[in-house]
Amino acid sequence: MNVASRLPNSSAAALADRPMEQAKPPFLGFGLGLRHQHYDEILAGNPPIDWFEVISENYMLPGGQPLRVLDQICERYPVVMHGVSLSIASTAPPNFDYLQALKALARRVEPKWVSDHLCWTGVHGKNLHDLLPIPYTEEALDHVVSRVQLVQDFLGRAIVLENVSTYVQFNNSEMTEWEFLAELSRRSGCWLLFDVNNVYVSAFNHGYDPHTFLNGIPRDRVVQFHMAGHSHMGTHIIDTHDHPVCEDVWDLYVAALKRFGRVSTMIERDDNIPPLAELLVEVSRTREIADGLLAPGPHAG
Amino acid sequence: MSDFARQQGDFQRGILSGDDTVLAEILDSPKEKRETLFGVYRYAYGSRLVEAMRNDHELLHAYLGDEMFDEMGHAYVKARPSEHPNLRWFSQALPEFLKSTAPYSDHPVLSDLAALERALNDAFDGKDGPVVTLAGMAGFAPEAWADLRFKPHPTAGRLDVSTNASAIWMALKNDGTPPDALLLEEPSRLLIWRQDTTPVFRELAAEEAMMWDEAANEIPFGVLCTMLATYDDPDGAAARGAGYLHGWVTAGLLTDASTGG
Repeated sequence: MNVASRLPNSSAAALADRPMEQAKPPFLGFGLGLRHQHYDEILAGNPPIDWFEVISENYMLPGGQPLRVLDQICERYPVVMHGVSLSIASTAPPNFDYLQALKALARRVEPKWVSDHLCWTGVHGKNLHDLLPIPYTEEALDHVVSRVQLVQDFLGRAIVLENVSTYVQFNNSEMTEWEFLAELSRRSGCWLLFDVNNVYVSAFNHGYDPHTFLNGIPRDRVVQFHMAGHSHMGTHIIDTHDHPVCEDVWDLYVAALKRFGRVSTMIERDDNIPPLAELLVEVSRTREIADGLLAPGPHAG
Repeated sequence: MSDFARQQGDFQRGILSGDDTVLAEILDSPKEKRETLFGVYRYAYGSRLVEAMRNDHELLHAYLGDEMFDEMGHAYVKARPSEHPNLRWFSQALPEFLKSTAPYSDHPVLSDLAALERALNDAFDGKDGPVVTLAGMAGFAPEAWADLRFKPHPTAGRLDVSTNASAIWMALKNDGTPPDALLLEEPSRLLIWRQDTTPVFRELAAEEAMMWDEAANEIPFGVLCTMLATYDDPDGAAARGAGYLHGWVTAGLLTDASTGG
């Protein structure tokens, strides 16, 4: 595919702020990340989960059982698509084959929104399959804003971007991560997925107060929370998603609810997958805490 | 090249080849040195990809054991960095890697086992397609049969292996002790496809393999029967052809049968 022909006509056009103005996605309630280990149980029992988040790449396939299950889930539950390979902050040319496949999946799923991460996954034709960190510079911000605009134009919808757990910081950063996210959202119109665990992990790794991050994110731009577990290495924390959510992260969730109000929340478990019932207990806890703090029921904020 | 692009190139090189240039632009944290923190990315890269290979090649993993599989996996990761955004396709080149890279190439059963697992994986999430039924076949008038041409189901594919990899696969799948690896006198002809949602395979006799391969080339049924007559008893060729065809239809191996084209 001729990449150049798909890019905006001029670099000035690429850099101009064109925030996509789209109504804020609805509050979905309290959900769970869909994992194949739970397919049979979910389809047989219709467990009381308000919505599911699916990993987009797991269904960017020609056919077979994964897509068949996905269709059944979509008939019964609201679904959100969450990708790991958009590589929105990569300086490599955009991958239009990937975007085309993502768009085709979104046409099939009709998700409430499409999310990915503020990160990059590779350059020079390689893919490292990791959520790699960026320097928080004006140059990087301009680049990511233009990429978000391009992707939103291509998909025909505002996307949602998540803060990732990071293990390193660059010495050329000119702003904080939360300032970067706030500006990115303001300039491009993208919404934010506030991963409570990732804020906790990055804050510990880089030695800042997670509440400072929390309070730096605009109240009206967050449409989803992720809650997950991690592995503590003593001097740093690794975002492994293979443990239950820890108490410190539950505490930060309370602070996030106080700042952002009712936000669609989900438990994200990617490894060491426990029985569904165990995760449902965590989903219930996200609901109980929110209901205890805020008036139950749908809320726009 | 922008500073941002250069920095990403340095960061990637630091992960892929152990180059430390990017460390000059990374800060120590309050509690840990930058080398250790950057090492999280270095370690995660190899381990994540090898884990994906373990998932895709569960039985090759069982055959080799943790240590040998991981050593092989890291060699593959180094030789064939991922170029696709979806991890699903990362280990697609594993059979060719094992066939062409010592010491694995000294054991052709490894490449065959990987090829069989890859074929089954590809059948698992391969394209959906309609399935020809016996009722559908009954709709063709007897005089039309000689002109019938067939299209394999999109998930159906053939694989020839030079070893007893299929017997080893079967033993491992049933948690049994695999037989010793053997080079066969003539290749084993396998047919792999998806039945409903389950990938399956079976071994074909030489005659059926010939008929399948020619049918997949859209050779009409009448000609296929003539070809079968050269393999064995000419008088029974049509009956044998009809028997193979019946097996394919009941197994969901065909996506179309028509007299057109």
